[in-house]
Amino acid sequence: MAFFNSLSQDTYDRQYTDTYLMRRIATYFSHERRSLLALAALLGIYPLLSAITPVLISTAIDSSNRDDTLNLRWILIILLIVAVVDFLFTWTRSRIITRLVGYGTAQMRKDAFAAAVNRDLAFYDDNKSGKIVSRITSDTQEFANIVIIFSDIFIQFVSLFVLVIVLLSRSVVLTGVVLLWLPIFIGVALIFRRLSRVVGRQGARAMAAVNDNIQESVAGINIAKNFRRENLIYGEFVQVNLQSYTINLRRGFVLALIFPVLNILSGFGSATVVYFGASSVLEGFINIGSWYLFVQTVDRFWFPIINLAGFWSQLQQGLSAAERIFALIDSENSVIQKSNETVTSLKGGIEFKNMVFEYRSGIRVLDNFNLSIRPGESLAFVGHTGAGKSTIAKLIARFYEFQSGDILIDGRDIRTLDLHTFRGQLGIVSQSPFLFSGTIAENIRYSKPQATDDEVEAIAKSIGDGEWLETLPEGLQTDVGERGARLSMGQRQLVSLLRVLLQRPAIFILDEATASIDPFTETQIQEALDKILTQSTSILIAHRLSTVRRADRIIVLREGEIIEQGNHESLIEQGGHYAELYNTYFRHQSLSYIENARTYSPSPARHTRVSLDQRTPN
Amino acid sequence: MSAEFIARASFNTNHSSALRFILSHILRHPLVAILMVTGAFSNAALAAAVPYYIGIAFNAIINGSQWEIVQHAVLGIVASQALRGVLQAMRNFSSELFAQRVERDVRDELYASLLGKSMAFHDTKPVGEIMARVTNDVREMNLMMNPGLNLIVGSGFFLLMPLVVAPTIYPQLILTPLVFLILYFVFQYRFVTTLNPIARSVRVSFGNMNARLAETLDGLQIVKGAAREQEEISLFSRLTDEVRDFFVRQGYIEARYIPFLLLSLATIGGLIHAVYLHQLGLIDTGKIIAFVGLLYLLQFPVFTSLRSLSQVASGYASAARILDIIITETDLDQNEGGYAQPIKGRITFSNVGFGYEDTNQSVHDLGFTVEPGQTVAIVGQTGSGKTTITKLINRTYDVDTGSVQVDNVDVRNWNLATLRSQISIIEQDIFLFSRSIADNIRFGNQTATQAEIEAVARKVQAHDFIMSFPDGYNTVVGQRGVTLSGGQRQRIAIARAFLTDPPILILDDSTSAIDSATEDLIQQAIWAASKGRTTILITHRLSQIRWADHIVVLRQGRVVAQGTHDALLQSSESYRRIFARYEMTNSSNQILTEMSSGR
Repeated sequence: MAFFNSLSQDTYDRQYTDTYLMRRIATYFSHERRSLLALAALLGIYPLLSAITPVLISTAIDSSNRDDTLNLRWILIILLIVAVVDFLFTWTRSRIITRLVGYGTAQMRKDAFAAAVNRDLAFYDDNKSGKIVSRITSDTQEFANIVIIFSDIFIQFVSLFVLVIVLLSRSVVLTGVVLLWLPIFIGVALIFRRLSRVVGRQGARAMAAVNDNIQESVAGINIAKNFRRENLIYGEFVQVNLQSYTINLRRGFVLALIFPVLNILSGFGSATVVYFGASSVLEGFINIGSWYLFVQTVDRFWFPIINLAGFWSQLQQGLSAAERIFALIDSENSVIQKSNETVTSLKGGIEFKNMVFEYRSGIRVLDNFNLSIRPGESLAFVGHTGAGKSTIAKLIARFYEFQSGDILIDGRDIRTLDLHTFRGQLGIVSQSPFLFSGTIAENIRYSKPQATDDEVEAIAKSIGDGEWLETLPEGLQTDVGERGARLSMGQRQLVSLLRVLLQRPAIFILDEATASIDPFTETQIQEALDKILTQSTSILIAHRLSTVRRADRIIVLREGEIIEQGNHESLIEQGGHYAELYNTYFRHQSLSYIENARTYSPSPARHTRVSLDQRTPN
Repeated sequence: MSAEFIARASFNTNHSSALRFILSHILRHPLVAILMVTGAFSNAALAAAVPYYIGIAFNAIINGSQWEIVQHAVLGIVASQALRGVLQAMRNFSSELFAQRVERDVRDELYASLLGKSMAFHDTKPVGEIMARVTNDVREMNLMMNPGLNLIVGSGFFLLMPLVVAPTIYPQLILTPLVFLILYFVFQYRFVTTLNPIARSVRVSFGNMNARLAETLDGLQIVKGAAREQEEISLFSRLTDEVRDFFVRQGYIEARYIPFLLLSLATIGGLIHAVYLHQLGLIDTGKIIAFVGLLYLLQFPVFTSLRSLSQVASGYASAARILDIIITETDLDQNEGGYAQPIKGRITFSNVGFGYEDTNQSVHDLGFTVEPGQTVAIVGQTGSGKTTITKLINRTYDVDTGSVQVDNVDVRNWNLATLRSQISIIEQDIFLFSRSIADNIRFGNQTATQAEIEAVARKVQAHDFIMSFPDGYNTVVGQRGVTLSGGQRQRIAIARAFLTDPPILILDDSTSAIDSATEDLIQQAIWAASKGRTTILITHRLSQIRWADHIVVLRQGRVVAQGTHDALLQSSESYRRIFARYEMTNSSNQILTEMSSGR
């Protein structure tokens, strides 16, 4: 277990003591003080109530046996009252617990979510968002189960305790006979627990093999059909399906033994109590009623015991879930602001002074970096992957903390700005454009919620005469689906650019998408880009030749250093690193390449067909 | 029923309703079913033996210390419970066998039926949804059999046992179990019907919360960039509160589970009745004890019924969903007697109209002709109908109006297998199987030799990168960190198609980013592949559009322009806009190319 735990640890995980965890968990229920008090009262009385029923029944039978009619009548009335009260208590207890669990879970989810949203992006570089999601949804649920486990275990344990005392008061010897069975039951329960874990793991593995097989063949089914290979993949499927059947059957057979074995044991337990009880009655140690009490309680005894055996592991599970959530809530941001000066309107000047940045200590990405960007200038950053292009953009957005030096925005230290109002003046388009579920109009309006419908429409129509909206079923009101999945990549890019156009930010940061887009949409994206570039200071992490060429200044980065800068023509002229980058990444996007494409083909056969198309490459 | 593939083992199960479907799977294993039911019955009967023997023991003591009878009763308990354990194990084994067989068979049947569905079917169903049917829903049917049905049959006998045995103690004693049973069914029914809608609301609201949560965290950079953290937090709070409120309402309903009250009232009522009969001198104390013990048997069904009922209900729903897929008719058939000749490669679209749904037409009045050996580029915005055209050629779908002809024969008159086996489509999302690269290339032509595979790989510029892997052609795709780039996958797919030598090749070009060197290689691969066959390119690459023999420009499902590059520059405004941006910078690019190619 410990081994697996250590595998799934995240960097921000920390250890809390159990008492600290308990105390902190309690705070999530403390505002429900009345419910808690009521629950405590119920938990005090309830076990007595549930232990009293078998005692009453056995007394009733004893009285009936002795024809003690008066006594009998009272006992039966009390029994009825106990039954009704017992039901009302159970009902109330379940209501209270539901309320506690529901409200506690919701509060914890809100806290965890608020913490997750306020973590800086460095945090998400180290931690996958999927894992955080499961902390917020599943771990909170598991933690809440602690309440249920506690109240159940408490009741079972106390009623068992009360019962044992009653039994001891009737006959010590007979109680001893009952208790003798305890270790056997617990032992059997533990053995099965271990066995079922082993076979369960094998079963899960066989299932996973089936799922893999199906996943692959369903995903590739059109290929299989195209090549008429259905029989081949069906044969493979039958094989894994049969293997999973065999293994899961074995697992099932092991699990199927649990209840028969426990039932046999419980039957034997009853038999011993009947036997020794009868001899105790004969020898006059106990009366008929007490004998019956023992016979009745034997059955009630075993199942709580089996539950108790699993209590610790359940409790530990709940506590470690709570620990994971608290670790998320308590994790710290690395970006720290010295003060929070409100940013009203920015001109867009940016200056890096002797700046040093490392993602992890020791791995220096930018060393003594200096760069000054005039308001309104547009800069294209080019360089191989890892040269530091995106890092510069992220530092301007203050998503990461740098180690030394300064970043000045309009001459002000970036560490003194109020991040909320500062980021309100940034327009960021990330490499994989991200849309939220909702309509296109809602997405365009995301950074400027107060924009009117007319404004949104005017912006949307300003690009390519709004032609891009034609292919969408409901124009601006089209639902984009989760994460924008219903739109094409090109449409998503266009929407995220329109979002920025509407916002009119002082600083525009574009991490250009690398996917190629159909040429019509591409043309429209470039029109949108043209407009933004005239409005804002622009930081372009460029992947397209057309974008690079449009920048006022091209910054060539290698290993975090500026090695060349200038415009396209002058840089090509130099024949340095830029010319090399051009050859690697941009050459195929140039018109001359497009016009001459056929000459790159070595295939001589191609030229024999010149007669067919009459055009020769220039 | 028409199918494109019929598995060798066919299942003769009933498909008329979900219930009959389940029953027909159950009846495939009659012996196991009988074992399960008899096991369940004898289990309940032998459980009822315990109170019976206890009653005897008590009577023996009360009526004057008949020790021998007590010993017999104790032996009776031991023997009956040992036997019960064995029979119960038999019951559990057989229901397990049953459940696993049902899972195996249903999955096999569903899988075979999926293989038989048309390409159109698989086109419209997302892989995730089909996976959910084949894995989760089939597993649900397993759980419906065991523990679901097993517990219901088992606990059903526990409900019946007091009703049957009580009259043998004393006829009047049937009253309590009878009244209990009637009330139990009434309240159970009411409980389930009030609980179901709330439980559904809990699931739906939880799904909404979860979806928004995942979305927000994935798009956190946008949230932060737009300074909208506070709005997202309040939206999430609202969704969380919705889940909480439904959860609490569900909990309140579950808390008020009347059958628990009924159970204790039945025990006490039964006790009162028995004591009353005892006072009348009609039964002795041992019989009271036996009767009360009998009523304790009712606990088991009351405590397990909720779980087993919901298990059966969700299994039933799963069976209905599975059946839905199995009985979906796919309208295309093999057309065995159709036209079956080698394709020369002429493709004609005349007045073609088609829509995926009846109300929404995707392409209108399409008309164009591709001559054998020509390369045609189809261009247009996303959603303009480019991919639809390719699906009409190999009859993934049939046209609604007009016709598509291959070699002047309507595709509907072609033998389907002959037609498809001569048309190769390389899709946008290239799918490779997790087996060796060699196996992937020979997927369509199992008899190809290693030399043939390598020859093809060389032609499509794949040989060099394949040999750069330590295991070469035996490298298993997707294993041990071998990740293929988009450009590499594309070249393997082209090789796979190449090896079957199709007269018609359709290439839906991927949108993945590539560098200039890869672009060169892909250009060469496509040129090599298009040689000597009709080629349709759906492409974003201007270089391919520029050099196609014929270009078809689509907009909203209509051909708005077609012809050669030069003709289109004259006739099409939107086509001109694409190239217009380049013309102003043309001269400088000329210099660059010469520099970069070292001339």
